[in-house]
This record gives sequence, C-alpha cells and structure tokens, in this order.
Amino acid sequence: MQQSKLKTIYFSLLTAFICLLLPWSGFALTIRPDFLLLVIIFWLIRAPNLCNIGTAWFAGLLMDLAVGGIFGQYALAYTVTAFFAVMYQRRLVLFSGTQQLVYIVLLLLISQITLLILKIFSGMQMIGWTYFLPSVTGVLLWRVAVFFGLTVGGRTRGT
Amino acid sequence: MARGYNQKIEQQQAPAFFVRGPSPFARLVFFFSLSLALIATDSRLQYLNSVRQTLMGLLHPLQAVANAPTQLYIVTNEYLVTHNHLLNENQQLKQQALKQNIALQRLNMLALENDHLRQLFQANQALAESSVLGEIMHVGRDPFTKKVIVNRGEAHHIVVGEAVVDAKGVVGQVTRSYPLSSEVTLITDKSLSIPIQFERNGLRAIAFGNGRDNTLDLPYLPSNVDIRRGDKLVTSGIDGIYPAGLAVATVSQIEITADSPFARITCIPTGGVENHKQVLLVSIPHVSFPEIIDVTHPLVGDVPVSKLQMAPSIKPVQPILKTPQARLVSKPHAAE
Repeated sequence: MQQSKLKTIYFSLLTAFICLLLPWSGFALTIRPDFLLLVIIFWLIRAPNLCNIGTAWFAGLLMDLAVGGIFGQYALAYTVTAFFAVMYQRRLVLFSGTQQLVYIVLLLLISQITLLILKIFSGMQMIGWTYFLPSVTGVLLWRVAVFFGLTVGGRTRGT
Repeated sequence: MARGYNQKIEQQQAPAFFVRGPSPFARLVFFFSLSLALIATDSRLQYLNSVRQTLMGLLHPLQAVANAPTQLYIVTNEYLVTHNHLLNENQQLKQQALKQNIALQRLNMLALENDHLRQLFQANQALAESSVLGEIMHVGRDPFTKKVIVNRGEAHHIVVGEAVVDAKGVVGQVTRSYPLSSEVTLITDKSLSIPIQFERNGLRAIAFGNGRDNTLDLPYLPSNVDIRRGDKLVTSGIDGIYPAGLAVATVSQIEITADSPFARITCIPTGGVENHKQVLLVSIPHVSFPEIIDVTHPLVGDVPVSKLQMAPSIKPVQPILKTPQARLVSKPHAAE
C-alpha cells in the first residue's frame, strides 16, 4: 500500500518536473505555474509521512539544475515553503475550500519571495509585478484540480 | 459518508504521529543550512561545475521527452505546408541568394585584397573561425536572466566563451557548456557586455545588456560624444572572442542631461535575439600569443593579461607595453 503510494508520489513529481521542462517561452513563461511545488505541497499535506521537507529540498535541487542558476536557491525556497506547509498541515482539515486556496496562494508566495530575496542578493533586478503571476496561476490550477476531485482531505467537497 | 471521512483522517494521521522522525523545525534548520552552504559554494567557488555538467547529462533524456511534443508539432506543421507557400518561399530565397551572391563576389575580392595588403605589411593573417550550427531548444527558465539553451554541447566541441550569432548579428555568448547542450547568455542580459565599435567613426566602447527590456546600454560615454541615432555598432574584435565586424546593434535613443557627465545611449540589437531558432556558434579565434615579457602579474583586476594581447591583427613583434592597460600592469610592479 505504502509502496504503491510512494510510486504514485514519485511519478507525479516526475510528471510535474517534465511539465516545467516543456519549452515555455514569452508570456507563457511569465505565467507558468510552479507545477513541482504544487505537487509537493499537495503530497506534504496529504501524505506527510511519505513526503517531507527533505523531498522538497531534493526537488528544489532538481529545479536549480534545470533553471541553471546558482545551486541551492530553489532548494532553499522549497524548504521554507515545505516547512510552512507541514506546520499547518493538521489544521488544514478545519479549513473551508476558500481558506485552503488562500493558504496555498500564501505558500506559493512564500516560495517566490524567498527566491526573490536570494536573486536580489545575487545582484539581479526585480522584473516587475508580473513576477508574482505564477502564484496566481498556480492557485487557479489548484482550484481546477480540486474541481476534478483531487483533494487533500478536509472539507473541500462541502461536507 | 461521515464514517468514511473519519477513517480517512485516521489512516492519514496514525502513521504521521509515530513515524515522523525529526521535527519539521529540525528538518528546516538542517536543509536551510545545507542550501545556504550550497549557494555559498556555488557562487564563490568552482567545485560544483563538474557536478552540474554530469547531472545535466543525466537530465538530457528528460529534456528530450519534454521537447518531444513541440518537435512533433513543428514536424507535422512543416509537413502540412501548402505547395503554393513553398513555391513563393523558393522564389524569394532565389532572389535573396542572387543578391547575396553579388555581394559575396565583392567580398571575395575584398578579402583577397585584404590578404594581399596584410602580406605587404607583414601583418598577421586575418583569423578564420570555425562555426557550428545549433538550434535553440528552449528559453532559459529563470525569469531574471535572458538565456537560451542550444542543442550543441561539449560533444560538439563547444567551449565556454564562444560567440553566438545569427543571420543578422551577434546574439550572445556561451556561458556554460553541458555534454549535449550549452547555455547561451543573450547580449540583452544584464551580466553580459560586448566590446563594440561604431561603424561610422570607429569609436570603441563596451555595450552592456539592459536586462529589463531587449535593449543594450552604452554607459560611460561622455555627453559630447559623436553618436547619432541610427548609428550601427559592430564587434570590435579586440576581446579575442567575437570575430570583428559582426553587427551588434543600432543606436535608438540618446539622452543628454545636464546633471550627468555621461550620455544615456540605448541601442536595439540587430540580431533576432528572441526570434530565430537557428544560431551559429563561432569558435574563439585561436591567437598565437606573442612572447610575454613579464608574466609575474597574470591578472589586471579580473581580466587576464593575455586578453589584453588578443588584438588579433596586430603584429606580435612589439610587446603590448605601449597600450594604456599594459602600463597599468607595469605600474604596481615598478612601485615594488
């Protein structure tokens, strides 16, 4: 049971990673949601015994490799995000659907802001408010997933 | 329904209570410091370059899988182009080829003449660079930088530092090479600078990428500099990396303000920096260095001394001590 679930987790992570590797460009790149982080948050909340902060760190390292920046930036951002995701994981059961969405968008923003701080420290310039669009599209994607029945538990189905 | 719901919660949490291992905070601290250590190592030391290259080689199959759908789309699209369209294109290309043939004939003559003159002056022969045709696989994923990934890598003898050009001009420079692909930083990236020369008056300067929009900046030029809108910038070739005479950009805007001693000059790149799919990776010209007289100061700031001597067409008889940079090198030495 756990083995098969573990396989599902790794398969979904791999799929999300390939989604990120797709040749996005232009506006699509600006609004591309962080698929990998979304999947990690999903599993962190749903199966915290199988997917933990370490998983998030490794996924972040993979992102660093794919993005080609300095090693450790995404790893750090994902670690921080995963920590907050795990911290409130048990309380999430009490959240309503909308509250969950707010929680997810906050998590995505934490990751982006951590990255932004790291990038600014390494001498990059802020690229304007469009930088935060992936968080918005990410949470929309989450809503779509909830619509199709992918829930992390709790009262998302209006019980 | 309610029972199933409770069961779900229990299933989820029973293991979570007991098999949790270290607390989330402990994990956070551990992985946080690990990431910080990685960042510090990668940004200050060079240890991780080989690791990155190996891992990128492993990542390549995944990349190929991700690129497959678009490749398929492109191939089918090409297959379905209409006959009429092809005929039109063919005609256009023929006309273009004719025009370029005429230009090429003149170029051949000029090249011959140039060679002859060089022989007369006993100067070095002009450099012939080899080049490799590459295709852009995808745009870089970091929104902060302007980079593209090209499908030629170490397996095709691509090395870091090579110039990347397209049909219209310089596009960028190879900044990282992986086994089967390489990362090209575009000239519009903030971190890339390129030595240029004005076609009209031969003035030399260095163009820096703006980073925000697709333009280049020419900082540190005095406000009384002789530059007009529409002036063409070409590579000067004194860096020994870019072949001389390639089109780089056109001056689009000059702002002269009273409060600054420098003019603010904005240029638009001539090469299709974000348009074309095919690019040419030009190998670094191989310069036979003159005998360096004093090698005790291998560095001037960050620029290796050898770079100062890369002016490819200068006859290497006279050592470069005449140039102002070289004097800068010798000064601290003299002070000792």
